[in-house]
Amino acid sequence: MNGDIFIEVGHFCCKKHGQGAEGDVFLSRKTDDGRIISVLSDGLGSGIKAGVLATLTATMAAKFVAEDMPPRKAARIIMKTLPVCKERGISYATFTLVDIDRQSKVKSIEYDNPAYLLFRHTSEPVLLEPLKRDLTVLRPLGSHHNSGDSTTRLSQAVMHYSEFFAKPGDRLVLFSDGVSQSGMGSRAYPLGWGIPRIQTYVMRLLQETSDISARQLAQAIVKEAQVHDAYQAKDDITCAVIYFRKPRRLLLITGPSIEHQRDTEMAQLFRDFQGTKILCGGTTASIIARELGRTIKVNLKNLDLRIPPASTMDGADLVTEGIITLGKVAELLESPSTTDRYRVNPATQLTELLLNSDCIEFVVGTKINEAHQDPTMPVELEIRRNIIKRIARLLEEKYLKEIQIRFI
Amino acid sequence: MSETIVKVIVCSGTACYVMGGSELLLLDDHLPANWKGRVELEGSPCLGYCKDKTSGKAPFALVDGELIPQATIPEILRKIGEKLGDR
Repeated sequence: MNGDIFIEVGHFCCKKHGQGAEGDVFLSRKTDDGRIISVLSDGLGSGIKAGVLATLTATMAAKFVAEDMPPRKAARIIMKTLPVCKERGISYATFTLVDIDRQSKVKSIEYDNPAYLLFRHTSEPVLLEPLKRDLTVLRPLGSHHNSGDSTTRLSQAVMHYSEFFAKPGDRLVLFSDGVSQSGMGSRAYPLGWGIPRIQTYVMRLLQETSDISARQLAQAIVKEAQVHDAYQAKDDITCAVIYFRKPRRLLLITGPSIEHQRDTEMAQLFRDFQGTKILCGGTTASIIARELGRTIKVNLKNLDLRIPPASTMDGADLVTEGIITLGKVAELLESPSTTDRYRVNPATQLTELLLNSDCIEFVVGTKINEAHQDPTMPVELEIRRNIIKRIARLLEEKYLKEIQIRFI
Repeated sequence: MSETIVKVIVCSGTACYVMGGSELLLLDDHLPANWKGRVELEGSPCLGYCKDKTSGKAPFALVDGELIPQATIPEILRKIGEKLGDR
């Protein structure tokens, strides 16, 4: 989080129909000095070869920028490093690089991707276009092999540099040409979806749901592009959204404290918290209910036999069982594209709530449930502290959430 | 026939759930037709029996307040039958 702005980075991609791997790469990372660096790269062609080019480009670009290398030099190294395509004789991957510092200053370098869109939220969303400056470097155009002597032709590559200060509510939308060219050749869009129509589409989404998350917006854009291609994507379709917003907070309490006296403290924490509140664990929920004089009711509708049912309690957004549910949540966060993600059960509900929040506070009671240490119990019953640490690490590193863990 | 209602509480705490308690929550599907409406099923967060070895082993269920350790559907049905006076 930079000041009182939280930066949510979300992306969604879909590979070209018939390919086994994506040729577009989006990666985002947080540096030690608190900057957020995101790169979207589109490799030449599609499939695994493009994926390799794009991965190389994105990884290098992110690393160089993190090390404060001047962009021109970084670009030159990237151009020289990329392997040359055998068929086309060129090495090529486009990129859009965004570097956001702690003061929400955004610096961007774009090379051959469709230009990013910047939406600012005032009373109505408006589309802004920051001034861009050209950066020119030479890149090899291809090699000619004449009797063992090879010369490399050079061409100019023009990149666009821009910088601005982000305001709360800003959204930066990056996408690969798979989005803007979706539907190309079709009767509806002979020249593809096109940037003006994408702008209108995003604008309409923002007017309809002004608090749409980065993840959902990116997904909506990709899905729409897929529709234009009649669900047989003609190119890799990738969209990433960076959303500067007021942080959404979530409190998750799990486990009874080792000392009974702290039950009241835990209940007060729960009562006074502003934001989404979740309780994981039957004993924990019972303690809070007892302390605050509330009742818990287990929901027996829509049972999923793999995950114990959720309960309802006044003031809690979700009350689940403890360790099985948390174990499943960790699994879902690790591999989000399994079909389990689409089942409706407390674990997927909890995952959804976690992903929709920015600042997540865990309050973990460290009392060990002796009943779970019985050797006849399944080994999946982990110790709570470990599973929470695993979830926290995933949320922090993979989903860039702000995490606080308190053991009590 | 008396209209007594038997209340069944199934523990859905972790220990009970992994030891077979998940199946017990489907009790409604196993009730004979003439018992429908006379059995009230309720889930509960951990009832705490698993922490006390003298109570027996998980999963636990309560039929009208009477504890059944290592509960199974047939076992619960038998107990309900006893309570309803209908075997």
